[in-house]
Amino acid sequence: MDLSLTESQQMLKATAAEFVKTEVPTHVVTELSRKNVGFVPELWRKAAGLGWAGMLTPPQYGGAGLGYTDTAVLFEELGRAPLVGPFFSSGVLAPLVILEAGTEEQKQSLLPPLARGERIATVAISDPAPSFGADSVLMTAARDGDAYVLNGTKLFVHDAAAADYLICAVRTEPEDPNDLTRGITLVVVETGAAGVSVRNLEGFMAAVGQVDLSGVRVPASAVLGTPGQGWPALQRAMQRALPVLCAYQVGGAQEVYEFTADYTKTRVVFGQPIGRFQRVQDHVVELVNNLDGARWTTYEALSKLDDHQPAAGNVHLAKAMASDGYYQACVNSLEVHAGVGTDRQHPLVPHVIMARTLYSYLGDPRYHKRLMADAVGL
Amino acid sequence: MNFDLNFATNPDLVAFQDEVHTWLEENAPRDVPRSADPILYTHEEFEWRRDIGRKLGAKGWLYPTFPSEYGGGGLDLDRATIIQLALDEHRIPVPPYYNSGGPLAAASILVWGTEEQKRFFVPPILRGETVTWQLLTEPQGGSDLATVTTRATKDGDDYVINGQKVFVGGAYEFDYAWTIVNTDPLGPRHQNVSWLMVPAKSEGMTRQSLDLFTVHGAGESPVGPKEAVFFDNVRVPAFNLVGGENNGWKVASTHLEYEHGGAGHLRNIWVLDEFFQYCKETKFRGKPISENPDVRDILADVWADYQVDKLLGMRTFWLHHTKRPMSYEGIQSTFYHRMFSLRTSQRIQQALGYFGLVSDPQWTPNEGRTEVFVRYGLGSLHGGGTHDTDRVIMSRRMGLGRNASESAGQMV
Ligand SMILES: Cc1cc2nc3c(=O)[nH]c(=O)nc-3n(C[C@H](O)[C@H](O)[C@H](O)COP(=O)(O)OP(=O)(O)OC[C@H]3O[C@@H](n4cnc5c(N)ncnc54)[C@H](O)[C@@H]3O)c2cc1C
Repeated sequence: MDLSLTESQQMLKATAAEFVKTEVPTHVVTELSRKNVGFVPELWRKAAGLGWAGMLTPPQYGGAGLGYTDTAVLFEELGRAPLVGPFFSSGVLAPLVILEAGTEEQKQSLLPPLARGERIATVAISDPAPSFGADSVLMTAARDGDAYVLNGTKLFVHDAAAADYLICAVRTEPEDPNDLTRGITLVVVETGAAGVSVRNLEGFMAAVGQVDLSGVRVPASAVLGTPGQGWPALQRAMQRALPVLCAYQVGGAQEVYEFTADYTKTRVVFGQPIGRFQRVQDHVVELVNNLDGARWTTYEALSKLDDHQPAAGNVHLAKAMASDGYYQACVNSLEVHAGVGTDRQHPLVPHVIMARTLYSYLGDPRYHKRLMADAVGL
Repeated sequence: MNFDLNFATNPDLVAFQDEVHTWLEENAPRDVPRSADPILYTHEEFEWRRDIGRKLGAKGWLYPTFPSEYGGGGLDLDRATIIQLALDEHRIPVPPYYNSGGPLAAASILVWGTEEQKRFFVPPILRGETVTWQLLTEPQGGSDLATVTTRATKDGDDYVINGQKVFVGGAYEFDYAWTIVNTDPLGPRHQNVSWLMVPAKSEGMTRQSLDLFTVHGAGESPVGPKEAVFFDNVRVPAFNLVGGENNGWKVASTHLEYEHGGAGHLRNIWVLDEFFQYCKETKFRGKPISENPDVRDILADVWADYQVDKLLGMRTFWLHHTKRPMSYEGIQSTFYHRMFSLRTSQRIQQALGYFGLVSDPQWTPNEGRTEVFVRYGLGSLHGGGTHDTDRVIMSRRMGLGRNASESAGQMV
C-alpha cells in the first residue's frame, strides 16, 4: 500500500495549481459564472499548449499517454477553480470514446487535433429526457444512400457551445424494447454543418447546451466504428473517463473545504470565531466526510484503472460519491457561510452551480449506485 | 379534533366565504403577468401587488386578525382562515407585496409603542398603504443581533443614524425601514439597542443592489434583488423610536417571534403542486414520469415532507390565532420549512435531472417556477436567522439542559 502521489504527479499538481491561481483567480471565476460563460478560448489554448487536452491520449495519436491518476491530479486542480471549458468533454471523454469505438483510421485522423486542442469535441448522448441512460437516446438516423440523415434534439450537452463537432448517439436500428442499449450508433457531426444549431442554455448550471439537428446529412464514414455498437463503446469509455471527472469534483469539494475551514477561523460572531460553535463544527465535519468519501473512492478507482484491474464497481461508486459529496459539501459550506455564501460574487456560488450541474451529468448518484450494485454482485 | 377547513355547516361563514371569493374574482384577476423568479419581477407587477394590497387593506383583509381600531380586520380564526385559503387559491401571498417589516413593525409597535405611535404608524401598514422593510442584519454578523453597530445618536429632537445594513429589502419603492440600531455603544449587552421607524425618503440613506442567487422561500411575495442600505448622518425624529431608548431587546422579542414563524401559516405551496402535476403530465417514452418507480419514490418523499410542513404551520397558525400559549412551535415550523425546502431542492433535481436546473423558456418546467424552487431551496437556510440559530432557540424554548425554559415573545 502506498497512497501518496509520485514526484511527477506532485510536480504536475503544482504546475496546475499555479496555472489556476494566475489565470483564473477567484474574481474571474465568479465573473464567468455570473455571466454564464462556459468557455474562454484563450485559456483553452494556453492549457492545450501545456498538453492538457491530450493527457490520456496515447503518444501515437499525439497525446501525452499519461495515466489515469496523473490526469486526475490535473483535473483536481482545475476543479478547484472551478475552471470551465471542454477539459473533460474534449480532453478525456471524446478521445476515450474514439479510442473505444473508432477505426484505426478514425483514431489517426481525429485524435491528434483533439490532443493539441486545435479541435474541440463533445459527446452528445441524451435527447430531452429526465434521466441518463440508454433509454435517453431517442434520435434516429435514417439511412439515405451513402449517408445518414439526423433529426432531433440533443439536450443538456456539456460544452456544446465550445465544440467543433459532436459525437452523437443515435439509433440506426429499430428499438429492441427488451434491451434499449442495442442499436445505438455513434456519429461524428460537425457543429458547423448545415442543419445544426447549437446554443448555450440558461439556468442554475454551467456550460450546458442544446443542439438541434434538422435534416443533417452525414456520410456513412462519420460513423465511429461499427454501427449499432455505440452503447457498449460508450460504456467502456465512461468506465475509464468518469473517475477523471470525479477528480474534478473532488477538487471542487477540496477548495470548498479549505475556504470554509478558513472562514470558521476569521468570522467572529458572538465574540468568538464561528468554528468554536459545535453546530458549525458539525457542518464542517460533514463537509470533510463528504470530501474524503469522494476523494478516496475516486483515487481507488483511478488506481485500479492504472493497474488494469477490474474497476467497474469502483468507478460507479466513485461517480456516486463524488457527485453527492461535492453537492453536499457545497450545502455544508452554505450552512457555514450563511448570507454571504448566497452572493454570486462569493467563490462558493460557482461551486454550488458546478456541483449541481455535475450531479446529473452522465448519470446521477442513484443511477451509478445501481450499476455499482450490479457490478459488485449485490 | 377537527382538521377540516370546510365551513359549510355555518351559514354566516359560508356567506363570508362567498363574499371573499366574489370580491377576489372581481379585484384580483388571475391573468396578471407574474415573473417566475422573484428577483426579476417588474415594476408593473409591483404596482399591481401594491394595488391589490391597498384594496385588501381597506377591507381589513390584509391583516385580518390585527385589531380593527388600528386598521386590522379584527376577525376571528375562521374568517382569517377563509381569507387565507381564498387568497392562496388566487395565488396571492399575504401580504401580496414584499413587506418584510410591515406586520413585524406593526406588531412590535402595538405591543411596545405609545398610543400616539400606534395611531400614527400602524394603520397605514395594516391598510396596505405603506411598505416597510426590516433592517436588522449587518456585515459583521446577522446571528448576533444584539451586537448591531449601526449607531443612532440623540441630537435635539432627532436621532442621527450612521452605519450599514445588508441582505435587506428588495426592489422598488418603500416607505419605512424598521431598523434596529445601537443607542449606547458603552452600554451593557441587550440594554443598548433600540428600534426606529426610518422614513425611506430620509436624506443620507442610500441603497445598493446585491446579486444573490436566492431571496426567500417559495410561496412568498416577490422581492427583487436584496440590498445593502447605508446610513450617512440620517436624521429621524425622536418620535420614531419605538419602545424606549435602549429597550430594543424587549421589542425584538416580539419582532423575532413573528419573524421566526410564530404566526404560523396555512399556505399550500402551489409551486410544488405544479411540480407534481408536471410529473404526471410529462411523458417520457409514452409514460408519465410520475410512474417511473424512482421518480414515484421521490414524489412520495416530497409529498410526505410537504404534509408535515403544512401541518406544523397550521398547528402554529391555530395556536397563535386562538391565543394559546406557545413555546417552540413558531420557530419549529420555520426550521422544518427550511430543511424541507433544502431536501426538496435536491429531490426535484433527482426526479427531473437538468430539467430542475434549466431556466430556458423552451425547457423549464412551469415557466421557471420549479427551477426557482430548486435554487431557492438552497438559500432558504438563512433568511431571518440560520437553521443553527433556529435550533438554539428551539432548545431554549424546550428548556433543554436548563431548569427554566425561555418563553415565547409577546405577540398581538
Ligand atoms: C435570502 C436572504 C434574505 C434575507 N433577508 C433579510 C432581511 O430582510 N432583513 C435582514 O435584516 N436580514 C436579512 N437576511 C440576513 C439573515 O438574517 C442573515 O443572513 C442571518 O441572520 C445570518 O447572519 P449572517 O449571514 O451574518 O451569518 P453569521 O451570523 O455570520 O453566521 C455564520 C455561521 O455561524 C453560525 N452561528 C452563528 N451564531 C451561532 C450560534 N450562536 N450557535 C451556533 N451557530 C452559530 C451560523 O449558523 C452560520 O453557520 C437575509 C438573508 C438571506 C440569505
